[in-house]
Amino acid sequence: VRFVAEYRDGTLGRALAQRMRALVDPDRHYKLMEICGGHTHTIYKYGIAALLPENVELVHGPGCPVCVIPMGRVQDAIAIAQEPGVILACFGDLLRVPGSHGSLLDARAAGADVRIVYSPLDALRIARENPDREVVFFAVGFETTAPSTALTLLRARAEGATNFSCFCNHVTIAPPLRALLDSPQVELDGFIGPGHVATVVGSAPFEFIAAEHAKGVVIAGFEPVDVLESVLMLLEQLRDGRCSVEIQYVRAVTPAGNPRALAAMDTVFALRPQFEWRGLGFIPDSAFRLADEFADLDAERRFGVPGVRIEDPKACQCGEVLRGTIKPWECKVFGTACTPERPIGTCMVSSEGACAAYFNYGRHATPVAEGAPA
Amino acid sequence: VTPRPPTDLACEQHASCPTCADAAVAMRVVALATAPLQGARCVAADGTQELVALDLVDASVGDEVLVHAGVAIARTTAAKEEASAL
Repeated sequence: VRFVAEYRDGTLGRALAQRMRALVDPDRHYKLMEICGGHTHTIYKYGIAALLPENVELVHGPGCPVCVIPMGRVQDAIAIAQEPGVILACFGDLLRVPGSHGSLLDARAAGADVRIVYSPLDALRIARENPDREVVFFAVGFETTAPSTALTLLRARAEGATNFSCFCNHVTIAPPLRALLDSPQVELDGFIGPGHVATVVGSAPFEFIAAEHAKGVVIAGFEPVDVLESVLMLLEQLRDGRCSVEIQYVRAVTPAGNPRALAAMDTVFALRPQFEWRGLGFIPDSAFRLADEFADLDAERRFGVPGVRIEDPKACQCGEVLRGTIKPWECKVFGTACTPERPIGTCMVSSEGACAAYFNYGRHATPVAEGAPA
Repeated sequence: VTPRPPTDLACEQHASCPTCADAAVAMRVVALATAPLQGARCVAADGTQELVALDLVDASVGDEVLVHAGVAIARTTAAKEEASAL
């Protein structure tokens, strides 16, 4: 903790940028994707794009857990929340994600008992304190968050909780990257890897990017100097004609990840054969459901959720933003019909969503789509 | 252990949810909690204290852990670096 200031040091950051300028090929354009929305947030909060050489472009990836939730699953959660006697517990940003008929916030205003929790363990505590109510935890997130849900379900099982269940929407990061790399319109030179996901899964799940697609990956921390150093490491790989998976975030990430967290996930979850991602479509083996041994704690089985599939609104271009094919400000509704206050698309909801990050930090510095307010 | 602020408020203060943002906060393990509480009292650089579940990491008092959604997901090497810097 003592060393946090070092990772925000402006002089160090500028020195890294200077080294980048010395090694880039001026005749080449470099396109690097930051996979995780946490990095998108850091990049805009600290103005990192402005420090980089002009021919180094950062593209936002699909790693925002709220952004990738399809509308149908939100509508399913609303249906569960409206069941008599149910308390639906979820993380804060999910309340504002629009379903086809309003958001969880609207459902709460109409009388549903929807509560914000910071941890799934808090949802289990609510169940303990309300034995006559059914408490459902609306679980979302990548491998950063999935272990906390797994631990909560293990504790619920150990306590013999009968009024607690989980509506599981956890997703895994590697399959959408594979889908992205297989899609022809995406041309990228390398990836800034998701540091917090990698504390859990390690570096192995990213090896295919180097081995099968010949692109470099640097797993990065979330302070500005972490991100700058990772960009430098990627540029060094490109200069040397190398491609490998490197770890910049060595203070937290090991190649093997966190074996206890992985074991907990392995006990509690099973892979779904298919799962729909907002804007990316159905991706095989990309999400978790509860394992059969935990079927009694599975809200999908307990409540028989409608399982509706809802098309994204026509005006919304979240899919293109999540694939990195357009910039947030190139979306037709960015900053006009779609704002953090009244989001149309999920990318505008969470602060790590690319559109919300642009809206909050970058919109005055970047060209704005015609017709949008400056 | 100081109770967390009501989470509705915490989300509004940050204008977003730290869990949704995939953020993990570096915290120092201060003391193990006593039953019926499970976990340990941890403190962040800004002085925020929190009850954290340590089930998924091999950490003890004095270690630094990364905390996400009330659960430590990694032990960092920061404690070791600081000790060698002293």
